[in-house]
Amino acid sequence: MRVDRSWFATTGARVAGAFLVALVLHGIGTALIPGYSAPFAVRAMLVIAALLAVASVGQTLVILLGGIDLSIPFVIGFANVVAAQLYGDGWNFWLVCLLVAVMALAIGAFNGFVSRRFDIHPLIVTLGVGMVVQGAVLLWTAGFPSGSAPQAVSSFVSIGGSVGPLPFPWLIPAVAALAVLVILVLARTPFGRRLYALGSNPTAAPLALIDPVGMWTVTFAISAFFAAVAGVLLLGFTGSAYGDVGQPYLFQTIAAVVVGGTALVGGRGGYFGTVAGALVLTEINTLLIGLGFQPSTVQAALGLVIILLVSLYGRERHVRTTI
Amino acid sequence: MSRSNRLLRHAGSFGFAGILLVVLLVTNIIVNPARFYPAAWGTLIGLAAPLIGAAAASTPPILAGRGGLDISVGPLMGFVNAIVIKVLFLDLGVESPFVIVPVALVLGAAIGAVNGFLATVVRIQPIVATLGTYLVLTGATLTILPAPIGPAPEWLKALAGPASIVPLAAIFAFWWALRQTPFYEQLMAVGSDDRAAYTAGVPVTLVRFCSYVVAGILSGVAGLMLTALIGSADPNIGPSYTLIAIAAAALGGVSLAGGKGGLVGAAVGAVAIFLLQSVLTSFNVSTYVLQIAYGAILVGTVVLTAVQTRLTGKGS
Repeated sequence: MRVDRSWFATTGARVAGAFLVALVLHGIGTALIPGYSAPFAVRAMLVIAALLAVASVGQTLVILLGGIDLSIPFVIGFANVVAAQLYGDGWNFWLVCLLVAVMALAIGAFNGFVSRRFDIHPLIVTLGVGMVVQGAVLLWTAGFPSGSAPQAVSSFVSIGGSVGPLPFPWLIPAVAALAVLVILVLARTPFGRRLYALGSNPTAAPLALIDPVGMWTVTFAISAFFAAVAGVLLLGFTGSAYGDVGQPYLFQTIAAVVVGGTALVGGRGGYFGTVAGALVLTEINTLLIGLGFQPSTVQAALGLVIILLVSLYGRERHVRTTI
Repeated sequence: MSRSNRLLRHAGSFGFAGILLVVLLVTNIIVNPARFYPAAWGTLIGLAAPLIGAAAASTPPILAGRGGLDISVGPLMGFVNAIVIKVLFLDLGVESPFVIVPVALVLGAAIGAVNGFLATVVRIQPIVATLGTYLVLTGATLTILPAPIGPAPEWLKALAGPASIVPLAAIFAFWWALRQTPFYEQLMAVGSDDRAAYTAGVPVTLVRFCSYVVAGILSGVAGLMLTALIGSADPNIGPSYTLIAIAAAALGGVSLAGGKGGLVGAAVGAVAIFLLQSVLTSFNVSTYVLQIAYGAILVGTVVLTAVQTRLTGKGS
């Protein structure tokens, strides 16, 4: 690694850049669209960004490890449908959550274990497992999921909710606490250090007695767990079960991680950046829809903006600097 | 090395996809003989062709290594499909293959060049760069073509029937020709170890850039094959090929780490996936079961391939 690299090339600068972009986008929105900064609009954006941030916890950890998790949307859909269905059948909601969490952890652990143990690219494994999970859910519900969320979950994520006198739902402080927790775990625990070590040098890390298979198993399990959490929260947000509710999160989680300055090759970045990335993506989406573009145009513009942002501060090094 | 030995090693490089392919082919012929009569081969190949083309198109950037990946292959096929039918055939009334085919190829090459520029010159991580073009192309396709529309020129439809082998043959002739050039050796060198290749004087950036252009051209052909198969334009079909195409390439022994595999392997993987879909459909199970089996066999085969490589890899 070059010693003389400028501050602009550091992860800190990338994260700061992402937050700055979110602020600038918000400024543009406020200037162009009346009511863009109205309390309700801001709350809505915060809730949507918070949901994306929860779904992206796992993607961040997995990408830091040098992997990728395409099963996130399928696990979100799985948790969403199973939680609604079982709760609708009269189960105790906490029991439902426990069951969904255990199953999600098992799915994720399988992803990580198979990918690392057999040295298969996680893209293929998580895609295949995701398809199995989705097929199983569809088979179980015959394609027509039913049921709904308990009131507690709905008010936890409701845009109109409040924390005592404060005008936002409990989701916002909860996600803030989660972010602090994830950042602390990454920076201050042996698990976090091992994650970065294995991500930046998969060959050297095992020599330092880091068990790669164990780390991959645990990290992918965590990823699936947070996807399941996002699935249950989305159930509260939309009110009813929908198997494809996770589909937008397939690429959005990856985009949030990358816009937040984490490198896909592993070992560089962090969750703070992902939070910034989630804010940026939410701002872009809201801004473009607010300006009256068709969803198809919004999608195209989103693609352009991702390319533009990442080319500003997410560039990789030239091969000559890696020798 | 004896000829049979080399053949065996060659078959081994397709992974378990080769074995899976034979098993599935036999099963298919037993379960559904009518579909596999020589008279039906044209249609059959036409059915499998878009996936084979998509898998072939996905392969060159993967071979170039260091996370090389083109996830815009599917949307590009859809975009070519929309341009050819909606803009050229219906709006401008152009029917001649001598216009439509070059337009599809140039369009593919141009978008491949954009991908290559973003991934190698701007140096955005390939999956993100092509995710960007994925979103742009999907959005553009839906803007040009909000709903499915038809029909297609007769000659184009024939490419999914009696003449279905033609575009596939063109793809493999093109790849064969590329293999005769230094580009192929350089591509594999860059994919195996880009730093060593760079110090040996290989123009790493240029080689990687070209791999995306090749992917774009092949996607253009795949887009034509898709158009031939559906005989119309549909904005929603193209993107669905993306991930399956990459899975097919991996199944056929193309290492996602780069530098290992080839177009033939990717095609074997694609045919295996096609036959799997075909056999599962003819068992008349629900689409949900089909999806479960599909995912499970994908993971299972890739695991078996890895185990096999591990067992045989020790000796070589």
